[in-house]
Formats: sequence, C-alpha cells, structure tokens
Amino acid sequence: MKNHFNVCIIDDDDIYQFTIVKTIKALGLAKKIMVFSDGEEAKDFMLDNIKNNYELPDVIFLDNNMPIMDGFQFMEEYTKFKPQLDKKITVYMVSSSVDPVDIERANNVSEINGYIIKPIKPGQLKSIIENLNA
Amino acid sequence: MHKAIEENPKIKNTLERINNVARIGIWELNLTTKDYTLDKITSDILDLKNRNKINLKETITLFKDKVHRKNIKECMTNLINNGDSFDEEVALETITGKKIWARKIGLADKENGIITRVYGIFQEITEIKKTETQLHSVNSELKSIINSSAVSIVSIDKQGDVMQFNSGAEKLLGFSAEEVIGNLPPTSILLKDELASFSKEFASKFNKEHIQNFNPFYELGLQDIKDTREWTFRKKNGTLFPVELSLTPLKNDLDEYLGILGIFYDITDRKKAEAELLKKNQLLNYAEQITMMGNWSWNMISNEIIWSANMYNIFGRDPKILKKVTFDTYFNHIHPEDRKEVSNFIEITVKEDKFTDVLHRIVLEDGTTKTVHLLGELITNELGEPIEMIGTCQDVTQLRMAEIKFRGLLESAPDAMLIVDEEGTIQISNKQAEKLFGYPSIDLKNKPVELLIPEKFMHTYKSNNNNFFTNIKTSETEKSKELYALHKNGEKIPIQISLSPLETEEGLLISVAIRDITEQKHSEYKILKAKERLEVLTDNLLNKNRQLADFAHITSHNLRAPVSNLNSLLGFYNSATDEEDKAEIFGKFEIVIGHLTETLDTLVEALKTSNGAPTELKKLNFEDILNKTKEILTGEIEATNATIISDFSLVDSVLYSKLYLESIFLNLMSNALKYKSPDRDPVIELKTTLIKNRITLTVKDNGLGIDLEKHGHKLFGLNKVFHRHPQAKGIGLFMTKVQIESLGGTISAKSQVNEGTTFIVTLN
Repeated sequence: MKNHFNVCIIDDDDIYQFTIVKTIKALGLAKKIMVFSDGEEAKDFMLDNIKNNYELPDVIFLDNNMPIMDGFQFMEEYTKFKPQLDKKITVYMVSSSVDPVDIERANNVSEINGYIIKPIKPGQLKSIIENLNA
Repeated sequence: MHKAIEENPKIKNTLERINNVARIGIWELNLTTKDYTLDKITSDILDLKNRNKINLKETITLFKDKVHRKNIKECMTNLINNGDSFDEEVALETITGKKIWARKIGLADKENGIITRVYGIFQEITEIKKTETQLHSVNSELKSIINSSAVSIVSIDKQGDVMQFNSGAEKLLGFSAEEVIGNLPPTSILLKDELASFSKEFASKFNKEHIQNFNPFYELGLQDIKDTREWTFRKKNGTLFPVELSLTPLKNDLDEYLGILGIFYDITDRKKAEAELLKKNQLLNYAEQITMMGNWSWNMISNEIIWSANMYNIFGRDPKILKKVTFDTYFNHIHPEDRKEVSNFIEITVKEDKFTDVLHRIVLEDGTTKTVHLLGELITNELGEPIEMIGTCQDVTQLRMAEIKFRGLLESAPDAMLIVDEEGTIQISNKQAEKLFGYPSIDLKNKPVELLIPEKFMHTYKSNNNNFFTNIKTSETEKSKELYALHKNGEKIPIQISLSPLETEEGLLISVAIRDITEQKHSEYKILKAKERLEVLTDNLLNKNRQLADFAHITSHNLRAPVSNLNSLLGFYNSATDEEDKAEIFGKFEIVIGHLTETLDTLVEALKTSNGAPTELKKLNFEDILNKTKEILTGEIEATNATIISDFSLVDSVLYSKLYLESIFLNLMSNALKYKSPDRDPVIELKTTLIKNRITLTVKDNGLGIDLEKHGHKLFGLNKVFHRHPQAKGIGLFMTKVQIESLGGTISAKSQVNEGTTFIVTLN
C-alpha cells in the first residue's frame, strides 16, 4: 500500500530534481516518479493522459519559479482542465521563495493544497505522501 | 398906433424889451426887391448873425417840412397879391440847422386898393410848442389809459352817480357805459357780505354808528382816505371774480370833495398764482418735514435770518415765541465742541466765496442733541462782497446714527474694508485698510481704487467688476479673487478680495473686503516646498523599496535555491556510502557552487551599479558604439547571416557612461541574435529619436518574440528565461535594466510571438 502513488515533480532546477527523486526513491514512497522541467511540459503530459488515471499523478510538487510556464501559470491551466479529470490530484507548491507575497498568492489559489519552502525535508515528504491515503 | 410907437422913444424902448423877452421880432418885405428887412430879434431867431436883409426866396428854403413850406408860400402870395393877413405856426430850420418853431403874422397896408406895404411879426415859439407837445402826449397817454381795457376805471360823484365808466370797466363787468353813467352803480356788483364788513370797518374806524344809510365811500371821500384792497365783483352775467380796487377821493382846487375814483383790475390770475404758490409752499413744507430738512436765508448785512417752518421744528423752537432769528440764535444751538469747526467753516466760506457743506451737532433747549447737515450758497453784490447766504439744513441724526452703526460694523470687520462707488472711487475705508495699505483714511477718500489695486491687476479686477455689475442679480453672492495690492511704501501684498453690492439711495456701492494673505501664501509656499521634497523623498524611497524588493526576490529565488540544493546534496553526501555516489554528488556540488558564484557576481555588480557608483559621463557617438558592438558580435552576425540597419540621424550622440551604453547595445543586439526565428535571417533595426525631449533608442528585431502577457512581469528579472534555449541565462536584460535605471532612464518592450521584439530605451 505504501508505494502505489504516482509522484510528479515540476521544477527546472536539475539539482533539486536530483535530490528529491533520490529522497523519494530512498524512502520508497512512490510507484512512479515523473519529472518535468517546466509547467508547459507537465501540462502537455497531463492533457495527453487526461483519462489515463494510471499515468496521472496523485500528487504534484510544483515549483513556482520556472521558465516558459511558471507554477502559477501552470495552475491557471490546471484549473481549466481539472473538471475533465476523474482523479483526485493533490498539488503542493514547493519554492525557495520566503517572500510572503508568493506565499499569500499560493494560498489564494484554492487548487493548491499547501506551500512548502525548500529544502523539503525527507520526513515532511514522507508524511505528505502517507497522508494522501487519509 | 405904429406911428405913435416910433414917435415915443420911451414906449419904443419898453416894447423892444418886451419883444426881446418874448422873442418877438418884426419884418417888412420890399415889394419891389422881394427882400425882407428884419429887426435884430428876427435875425437872431433865424441865426442870421445880425444880417437884416434876406430874400423871400431864401426864406422859403428854411421851411424843410413840405406842408409848412407850401402853406407859408400860399400865405405870402395871398398877402402880397390880395393883402390877406395871416397868423401861422410853422416849423423851420435856421441857416445853421437849428430846428425851431415860429409864429409868423403877416399884415398888409392898402392905399386905394393897392397894397403899399407888407410887414409882420415873427415870434419863436419852440419852447411853447415843446410844452404843448408834451402836454399833448401826456393827455393822449392818459386818454389811452382811461380808454384801455387793461385797467378798469369808474368814478362816482358825491351824489353817488356814476360819472365815468371806461371800456376796461365795461369789458370786465359786462355793463355798457350808457347803462350806468348818470345812474347809481348797479348794487349787484358788490357782494353784500363784503360791503357790510367794509362798512362796519369804516364805521368803527370813525366811531360812526353803523346805520343803514352809512355810506363808507362817502365817508372815505370826506376823510380823504385812499383804500386799496381785494374785492369780489360780480359781473352782469353773475360770474364772480377777484379784483384789486383802489379808491381815491376826487377833489377840486379848493379841496372840496367831488366824488371818488375807483380803479380796479382782475386779479384772477394773480390769485391763481398765489394759490399755486401757497400750495407749492405747503408742499415744500411737507417735503421738508418728510426729509427733516429746513431752508434758511441769512442777510449778512442786517444779520437777519429767515427760517422755514421746518427749521423751527428741527431746532425745537416755536415761531410764535422766537420772532427774530439771528446768527447768534443759530450759533448758540451749535454743540460747544463743534462751534470752532463751524466758525472756521463760515470764515472759509466767506473768504473763498464758496459754500460746500458741513456736518455738525446742535443742542436743543431741552438738551436733545441732533446732527445736522448744512448746505448753502453765498450771494455777493456787484463788488463781490458777500451779502447773503441761503441754504438748507437737514436733520441727519438718524442717518448719522445709522452711519455710526455702519462704521462700527465696518471697523469691527477683521478684514480691510473699502466702500467704492461704481466708478471705483473710494468712499469709505476702515482702520484695517489704513493699516494694510499704509494710507490714512482721509487720504483714501475719493481716490481711485487703482491706487491700491495696481494697474497690472486691474484688468482682472475690472473684468470682474464689469461682470459683477452686469450680472448684479446673479452675482449677489460673494465673489472671491486673489490679487495683489500695493502698500504706500510700494510693497506688493498678496490679497484676497470679496466683493458684494450695496444698494443705496446714492446708487450702487460695492463693499470690498480685502484680506492680507501673505501668511497664507507663505504657508502655502512652505507646504508646496515640503510636498515637493516629500515627493522626491517618496520617489527615492520607492526606488529603494523596489530595489529592496528586487533584492529580496533575488535572494529568495536566486540565492536560497542553490543554498537549499547545497543542503540537500550535503545530506545525501553525508549518508552516501559508496564512493561512486559520493563522486556524483560532489559533481553536483560543483555545478551548484558555479551557479551560486555567477549569481553572486551579478548581484554584486548590480548593487554597485544601482547604488549609483558614479560613472564618468561622456559624449558618445551612437555610430561608434554600434561599430564596436558589431566587432564583438562579428562571429554571431556572420553565423546568423544577420542584417543590421541603423538610423542615428535624429540624435547622433548622447552624454552617457561608455561602459553602460556598450553593455546596453551588446545585450540587446546579442539577445536579438540569440532569439532569432529559425525561419528567417535576423534583421536588427536601431534608431534614435527624441521623445518628450528625451533621447530614446529603439532596437527592433524579427526574432522569436516573447508572450508579454505571460512573461511581461519578469522580462527584466534576474535569471529569467523564456525560451528553452541553451544560452538563456537571464542575466543580460536584468543588468541592462539596472544600468539604464541607475542613470535615470527606463526600458520597456513590445513584442509579438514569432514576429519580433522591440526594446525602447529612454536614455536620460
């Protein structure tokens, strides 16, 4: 039961990608990990698999600060196609920004379930994924 | 007889003397020679200077009047031919031209039917003739008076019968002379009442019992009294009319009473005029009462003053008691404090021959104090000496009280107040006005308001005023206008004026309230200055704040991200067991540290730039900078086959930092080359213009373009990239912006995806 979730990472930072993937794998938290370097790539993937619940992520760790399509821009798109989804997807915004403006902005988007400040700690990651079951 | 005279020398002498006095001369005509022989008197009368001979023909020419000449010619011819004697009065002129009247008597002696001698008497009668003429003219004048219809004359003899009844009387009374002459005058002419009272008056005057047959007219004659009074006469047709009748007793030489002469004339018009005058006088009295005004005249020679009825009212005196008014009467009423002023005034009036007006107080007998306004005129005789003053005196106590109240109101106003008339002439000013403008009130009276509101500002004032007068109804509400006033010392005072109309009997007046707003202006200026400083400060603060926000953003994203990565990597490194993993993680460390170093370097440079590290400004030629940039980018330009078009004709140079301008050119051009469209060769157009006096550089490309709706907000941010491009690092535009802004410029962009981007740089 522990690792049947699809975890989606959307972040342009290679090092972050490397560390979080490594952490998830080490903790054995995911059935599958998908990594996108910007919002647009993730959006394209999700639209391609809009009815494919097997491929769609259960949880998204979304960076705010990205080229092409940043986290908030992605959320705009996500909100548009969300009604077509048959799957409950939990979205966390993960950012190195401690700017209260960014935090406030994230809180105002109802589809964002939480705001996590980088670096994300292994225990935090674990409890989030475990709580998806609840 | 003739002979007897000649023979008696004594008689002859006597005769000659008489003749001399009576101017009687004698003449004889020689029938043969037709020469006159004249005695001395005749010669004198004719001014012949002792000539005793003169020819008949010559004498004829002396008669200038044709009728007289003809007459004397005939007389002489008849005398000579027929011996007809004559006695004629003739007018003639002597040879010296003197006009005289003469009496010429001609006689003839006949002997046997033949005329033997012609002689006569010549007497000068000029004086007699003159008297006669005068008498005649007086007579005819009298006659014309008696016969005139302007005066009516009736005379009555002592029996009471009418003797004369002239045409004037006929005309006035309607009776004909025939009807009344010789009869008693018609009793219907006089009114019974008037006759009765006339009788009574005379009866009592002469202590006669007033009895039925007492005749006052007879009595008048007896007592030799003349009486003139007004009567009411009744015409034959019954109409009544007023007359003035003068009764004069008629007497003969022996002072015997003959009758009475009555001369009368119609005074209807006079009565009418009198009634009119009376009415006018009443009206005047009435008017004087209403206006509380009296009139007076002062005979300065007799020191007699005549007061109109209302003058007595004003001074609270009874005309029945105060019979004679003199200057002292007036002077004693003057308030003791005002006496000197009034005396001075009168002195000046007499001296300068001009009466203006004076306001002074009077004290009545009961102690009441009044204020009167005295107006007058000085009347002088032919020598220019004052003989009389006439004028009016108005009780202005109430007006004065009102004025005092008004003054009080005016003085209590916090602002300087001027009351001006329609011409803009100052009528009244208050103490505050004295203080504000530096002129005493007396100096302001009757001065044009321009004295205080200088010419320069009068246009506004006048146009305001015009507007004000023409739209008096609509602008009754206060009008405020800020203007400058001129102090006596020439100082300009900022003022605020409120105008409001005052309707008075003398016409429209305007009250002008003037407020000195120097303090206000000063404060305003200070506030304005403070506001300017605040604005500058706010701008600076905003700038700093923005920089701080930028910096916070940069630390948040660009510094925290690698640091958190380092932390994560460090965790893995510590927990890693095999060397291979450790080596991999270490490689990651190097990448992160590399990024971090680059970011820190950029930040340091940006901080240096935006903190305004003074850069040397030089006059730079755009063409030179472009050429240098092209050199640096030679490789890229050739590789991309780019075309570069430049137009610096409008502005060819700028005062700028050389380093920054080169960097701006390099960044914008390398961006244009870097983000070129894969479908076409890049074309870069550079152009300088002046926009709102600021040198503006535009760099336009035909490259990929940016979706500004999506990315506009982070276009100039640090490490922002919008293209999945291997060389996109997001430092260039950030630094470009920092550089431009540090020198007071701005940068913005316009772009269409797949069409190209235009950067607009305002350099200064």
